[in-house]
Amino acid sequence: MLISLNWLKEYVNIECEVDDLGEALTMSGTKVETLVELSPKIENILTGKIERIDRHPNADKLVVCQVNFGDFEKVIVTAAKNVFEGAIVPVALDGAVLANGQTINDSDFRGVLSQGMFCSIEELGMNQDLFSKEMMDGIYILPANTSLGQSVKSLLWLDDVIIDVELTANRPDCQSVLGIARETSATLDQPLGSFETYNAPESLDTIAEYLSIQVESDLCKRYIGKMMRVKKIEPSPLWMQVKLLNSGVRPINNIVDVTNYVMLELGQPLHAFDYKSLGSEEIIVKTTDDKKIITLDDQERAIDQSMLMITNGKIPVAIAGVMGGQNSEINETTELIVLESACFDKSSVRLTSKKLGLRTEASARYEKGVDPDLAITAALRATYLLEKIGAVEVIEGIIDIYPNPQTQAEIELDPQWVNRFVGINLSADTMISYLKRLFFQVREKNQLLLVTPPYYRTDILIKEDLAEEIARIYGYNNIPGTIMGGETQVGEKTEVQKTENQIKSLLVGQGYFETMTSSFTSENKISGLNEGLPDDMVKLINPLGEENSLMRRSLIGHQLEVIALNSHRKNPQGRFFELANTYSKAEKSDCLPLQQKKLVLSSYGNTDFFDLKGTIELMLAELGIENVLFVAGGSDMLHPGRKAEIFVGETILGEIGEIHPLVVKNFNLPKRCYICEISFGSLMEAKKYNVRFKELPKFPGTSRDLAIVVEENIPASSVLAIIKDNAGDLLESVELFDVYTGEQVPQHHKSLAYALSFRHLEKTLSDDDINPVIEKILVELEGQLNGRLRD
Amino acid sequence: MKDQLKEIQERFLKDVQSVKDLKDLDTIRVQFLGKKGELTAALKGMGKLTAEERPKIGKIANDVRESIESNLTAQKEKFERIKIEAQLSMETLDVSLPGSKKDLGKLHPLTKTINELEDIFLGMGFSIAEGPDIEWAKYNFDFLNVPKEHSARDLQDTFYVADEIVLRTQTSPVQVRVMEQKKPPLRIISPGRVYRCDEIDATHSPVFHQMEGLVIDKGITMSDLKGTLDLFAKKLFGEQTKTKFRPHQFYFTEPSAEMDVTCFKCGGEGCRVCSNTGWIEILGCGMVHPNVLRDCGIDPEVYSGFAFGMGLDRIALTKYGINDLRLLFENDLRFLGQF
Repeated sequence: MLISLNWLKEYVNIECEVDDLGEALTMSGTKVETLVELSPKIENILTGKIERIDRHPNADKLVVCQVNFGDFEKVIVTAAKNVFEGAIVPVALDGAVLANGQTINDSDFRGVLSQGMFCSIEELGMNQDLFSKEMMDGIYILPANTSLGQSVKSLLWLDDVIIDVELTANRPDCQSVLGIARETSATLDQPLGSFETYNAPESLDTIAEYLSIQVESDLCKRYIGKMMRVKKIEPSPLWMQVKLLNSGVRPINNIVDVTNYVMLELGQPLHAFDYKSLGSEEIIVKTTDDKKIITLDDQERAIDQSMLMITNGKIPVAIAGVMGGQNSEINETTELIVLESACFDKSSVRLTSKKLGLRTEASARYEKGVDPDLAITAALRATYLLEKIGAVEVIEGIIDIYPNPQTQAEIELDPQWVNRFVGINLSADTMISYLKRLFFQVREKNQLLLVTPPYYRTDILIKEDLAEEIARIYGYNNIPGTIMGGETQVGEKTEVQKTENQIKSLLVGQGYFETMTSSFTSENKISGLNEGLPDDMVKLINPLGEENSLMRRSLIGHQLEVIALNSHRKNPQGRFFELANTYSKAEKSDCLPLQQKKLVLSSYGNTDFFDLKGTIELMLAELGIENVLFVAGGSDMLHPGRKAEIFVGETILGEIGEIHPLVVKNFNLPKRCYICEISFGSLMEAKKYNVRFKELPKFPGTSRDLAIVVEENIPASSVLAIIKDNAGDLLESVELFDVYTGEQVPQHHKSLAYALSFRHLEKTLSDDDINPVIEKILVELEGQLNGRLRD
Repeated sequence: MKDQLKEIQERFLKDVQSVKDLKDLDTIRVQFLGKKGELTAALKGMGKLTAEERPKIGKIANDVRESIESNLTAQKEKFERIKIEAQLSMETLDVSLPGSKKDLGKLHPLTKTINELEDIFLGMGFSIAEGPDIEWAKYNFDFLNVPKEHSARDLQDTFYVADEIVLRTQTSPVQVRVMEQKKPPLRIISPGRVYRCDEIDATHSPVFHQMEGLVIDKGITMSDLKGTLDLFAKKLFGEQTKTKFRPHQFYFTEPSAEMDVTCFKCGGEGCRVCSNTGWIEILGCGMVHPNVLRDCGIDPEVYSGFAFGMGLDRIALTKYGINDLRLLFENDLRFLGQF
């Protein structure tokens, strides 16, 4: 919100530097985003009246103007088209400086000396967005009653500083010059100025002859109508226009400008209807069945029954709190106006404004909350101003519908509690003085304070709210920093969290890069994985597009996207992993969806199935997981001949494999990519925690190599299982060291070469110990798999 | 006999001079000291000696043997040294050649940031709590004192999967869950993934990460909040870091504040990173609202506490000077490899 410093100064005495003011306000809770000097460079530009315009003797496009500054006259040569005799304009005299820093000097225009220059809006550094193009193009023509020889800088408040403040949701009362003035007054400990309102003669009630008002919805908390007879619709006085301009609002005419002025000054949105166009002697505030209304901006708006309308009893004439209707708009022929000062329910205005896609200064304020008690002050302030600037004659009497006036409750506060809670040591008197600076009423009773917040502080309900008020006026930065006492607590990661770290470190050590991908996926992406859409996917009601409409059930799709991106960016190879949540529907509808953490690994370029499998085996071994079995099989996204399911005993951990060529095509992947996805929960269950030391062997071991020839479709794991099952206790380890297919073995056969290590803990082994074991293994291999020792 | 021994010794000394390598040396060792060597042969005559002569000759024989042996040992060492030196002279590496390539992956910069923050708070006695990403609206809003009609609950702001189930917009619901399940004293942090309906751009993402913290105990004060978070800022950004607490508003806390830290780039002088203010806004915090405590079954008249929350993505971005949030989720190796 933009606040004019000059306007603020009309309410509070501000002696400090503007930067210090900004800092002080920020530190007391009104965050100042920026402080912008409007047009600091301007110098020696005065108001002057063009008394006479003569043709230039030597130039067709120039004219020579006699300009009166009250005490003196100057000659100004100009090419501007919009000047006329009698116009009062800003004149940059010899030595003047324009907004952009350019200096103006006397200069000769084809034989005539011009003693300065007329200025445009742009040259003065005013807010260009707020003027029409015609006004921007020519010289800025000032109102006819402007006094001559005045400094334009002070007249047009070009020396102003525009303060941009960020307000928090709990302080709708700060949405005005007055609101910020109240905070400034409390922050700087300076008195707050007052403002004048219309003093209504109590006895007269002329308004009743013209109008009645009914409120038929509790979405309207208060509705005030005040009527006036228009004297003349014309531009508002310059001082008012300047304040609007410096607050970022475009001046329109005296009536509209006053409604905007009061909104900026007090925070109450106002609206003025043309009485005649209402076509009725009543205003009824209600929701209606009407389908549309044309608003002030000439747009037809679709309305519905949820939206609160101001009606003339038959049709809507305004959307409550958002925008007036075109059918009751003020125009040049308006004779009578009805001024509305009302309080509408903030959620209702917010939802209406959102549905219509129409946000206005009024709706923005109502959304945050406008206090119903402000309505009457604002109505009388506007009436006062309209009368003062000669825009209207007031029709006496006021209609005020306020069914449930609000009251502020008294809050009990123990000053010692405040000190304990905040960690400070202030006297009760100091606290009282802080609260009074914020216009709270305070009574003392038995060491306690009984505090009543002002009517507009609807955010203050409990003692903690008062503690914050005291703390912020005292200054958060004056509160000491302490280290909390209490019971000593051990900060420690859980077993699961430690395991996550362990896995991540291990994978990083193996050359894998951790990725971070979105939780969203889509039907489209899943179909690219060669799979049907699982029926337990969690669907978003309001996704950001179809591509993000489902919660992922697997991490694989995103890994493939990571590979595709890296491969397209010419990164020749990559290994990736991610440990993240996946989601699926709960079986019961009254439960939260299930959330399962999964670990995914992927790789491409200079890698193969066994490279990835080796990492998985290493990781499982490091977690103490034994009995791991890779069994051919797995989902359809994988190459049918190069995929396996990973088992620990009977439990399936996950799957591993090469990406199916169809999926490679769908995802635009490099030729061979590998993926492995594992359930982290199953991994944690399989994990063995207890590491026990084993005595180092004292006796030498002995080893034998066996090359076994089997048919090529027999899995190596079957051969290994037979070796392990029959080797007895003496077998220390068995490792496959060669796989051979070729001329030296029969067709469709392969040779698997294993190194078997044997050891006895208490003696040196001899051939007599080993030979029977080998014999047994060979017999079983032959019997079960038709395997033979290679010649 | 004595002369014979002397003669063997002299001949050895003469012969050994012609030895050129370890192999020759071994030949000469066998020739003189071997089982069938000359000294052994000579000593076979010992039996014919008288009892008086025997010890004398025996001593001489031993002296000769020892002299030959020590000579051989010295020669052996010499030749071994020569051999090693010859080997060394052949073996010179260009040590400026690169080492053999080892693969090392990297943790994601966000994980690194989270780890760093976790370590700081673990050291202060905090534990790490986790909760579901898909969460009851009541945990995400109601229990956190967010008004029923607040716009944060709108479909435009929050993702819904059912009327009462949302993708959490903050990690604060974890705090509610912890407060419901455990008795004070509590000290937890909850890092995690959160969601809001923001289109992705350089500074926004519908999926991002937060870390919140919660302390509940008897007698916890706002000055404890300041002290704890000031210490945290100094650990994360360096001892010279200063903090500034500005009043703010959150539904979850009262009083509430935002904490700024002196810009770690310019140290408070003002630069591009801090938009010339010298300060960087880093977190929101405050004393836990009594409504929140009460709703979670904790008596606000007995216990008090503070809470804080910060955006992890933004901290990672500022910490590493990354200029676009999207890079975090793109996972280009040339990006990932930098951290």
